[in-house]
Amino acid sequence: MSPNAAPVPAPADAVIVVEGVTKRYGEVEALRGIDLTIRAGEMFALLGPNGAGKTSLFSILATLRTLTAGRATLCGHDVTRERAAVRRNIGIVFQEPAIERRLTVRDNLELMARCYGLGAAEARRRAGTLLEKLGLQEAADRPAEQTSGGQRRRIELARALVARPRVLFLDEATLGLDVEARRNFWAEVRRMAGEGLTVFFTTHYMEEAEVADRIALIAEGRIIALGSPRELKAGFGGGVIRLSTDDDTAAAAWLAGRGFKAATAEKQLLLVHADPAAVLPLLVRELPVPVRRVEMHAPSLEDVFLELTGRGLGGDSAPAVPGRFNGAAP
Amino acid sequence: MSAAWTLIVLDMKRFWQDRIRLVSSLIQPLLYLFVLGSGLGASSRLGGADYRRYIFPGVLALTLLFSSTFAAITIVFDRQIGFLKAVLVAPVPRWAIAAGRIGAGALQALVQAALLLVLAPVVGVHLSPGSLLAVIGAMVLSAAAFSAIGVAVAARFSSPAVFPVISNALLLPMYFLSGALYPLGMAPQWMKVAAHFDPVAYAVDLLRRALLGQGFFVVPIAVAALVLVTALLLWSSVRVFARGEDTDGRRGPRASRLLP
Repeated sequence: MSPNAAPVPAPADAVIVVEGVTKRYGEVEALRGIDLTIRAGEMFALLGPNGAGKTSLFSILATLRTLTAGRATLCGHDVTRERAAVRRNIGIVFQEPAIERRLTVRDNLELMARCYGLGAAEARRRAGTLLEKLGLQEAADRPAEQTSGGQRRRIELARALVARPRVLFLDEATLGLDVEARRNFWAEVRRMAGEGLTVFFTTHYMEEAEVADRIALIAEGRIIALGSPRELKAGFGGGVIRLSTDDDTAAAAWLAGRGFKAATAEKQLLLVHADPAAVLPLLVRELPVPVRRVEMHAPSLEDVFLELTGRGLGGDSAPAVPGRFNGAAP
Repeated sequence: MSAAWTLIVLDMKRFWQDRIRLVSSLIQPLLYLFVLGSGLGASSRLGGADYRRYIFPGVLALTLLFSSTFAAITIVFDRQIGFLKAVLVAPVPRWAIAAGRIGAGALQALVQAALLLVLAPVVGVHLSPGSLLAVIGAMVLSAAAFSAIGVAVAARFSSPAVFPVISNALLLPMYFLSGALYPLGMAPQWMKVAAHFDPVAYAVDLLRRALLGQGFFVVPIAVAALVLVTALLLWSSVRVFARGEDTDGRRGPRASRLLP
């Protein structure tokens, strides 16, 4: 957990190296100095609220935007100066569908393979292999619009993989999928990471971030925490108390007066303490405001984020985080 | 080159799936030719049959103009979903994306114009091998220039709602000023001057010269004008595609809303 640490030489198996990258849109500074090194075969998650700079960083690495200052390389190629070389090494699943709905699934895959310079025979072979591997044979010769939501996401995955990239980018790739389809999707991606594919992804779903080897938390254009899910939660220290009272503002003021740092999240007060079990009876007894509900649990990634930023991951358009109020330890 | 060809094949597949559009798009030129042509022709000094013959090249230009520019609308649809982005992150040279789209639009327009060209003898335009070759050349140059107009516009917008506006504010004025429906030589001076800045005028002129042997501009100048328009707009579209998602701030980056 050392955000923006002093630059160290990139390890030999580094696939993505980001050094001091900033991005400005006119007056707005979307990225304020990002440093990252991602190794081959790593599953790397980028988490942050809307507007934190996730999309900017993602688009810069994916060759869709330029950076303002700093340097970023992918497989040794500069992402702004050697875009064609970078593009040959990446595959991307976007939030939105990126297949031609009226063409068949197979035609879509072959079309993309051709865009990567593959010959017709090789394109056909690759499409066939991927359709089989991702369990899409049954849908292969239907127009893409006549497939199910879960199938469509797998088609997107197949499209992104058809040129055998070394790095797979996933941008909120499972948005709108049900739990089972999401689980299948990530099992597939995890398996491919096991085979050496580097995966860089963004997500709003906390339990999805848990599959990552490392997570970068980004807020206001900076990486505020970086580590494995376990490291992030361990670095957090102690446990979490959630309080619901008749007057959260008054309660927060009272807590602040006694040296507790309370963050407000979705009409609840969130409190971090090294020993929550010991301090909880005291709080309930002494708070001058009636307490309606109390919960105590081990920290989740969401808590880590909330503690670090004083605000939740879920922006206005973010889906609710499942399992958030059940108090279960991860 | 192969990537450009791949994109052309894709668009032709979609075009073929839209056969109804292909047939319905022939209605407008037929109306011009047989209703406007017959009605207006009956009262003109040229007479009905002669007027239809006179505007036939203009009606070919009409088909080429609207078919090729509207073919570019698929770029907007592709941008609305992520399909355009998927192409943009592929190692396809940006010129191949622009050229592929321009080629596809031109090809679609040429198919439709060829269907109309079959009617030439019906309106009294008789084709020799030489004039056929000349008219095909003129059609290719015109289709490329018009398609380049469509792509240069479509590459810059993310909503298809802009197309009726372009149609009324740009295409129709260009068409009416082109001399497609009247001889430019007899038009008022300001219209003659304006025609020099109108790519459609050069296209109509080349088509008319090929089919009827009459013209207003010098052939090499008309050819050069169409090639220049195509090249400039190709270049401008390449620049837009090369920019990717980076905008000049007009469509406001999403980041700006939440940052302090």
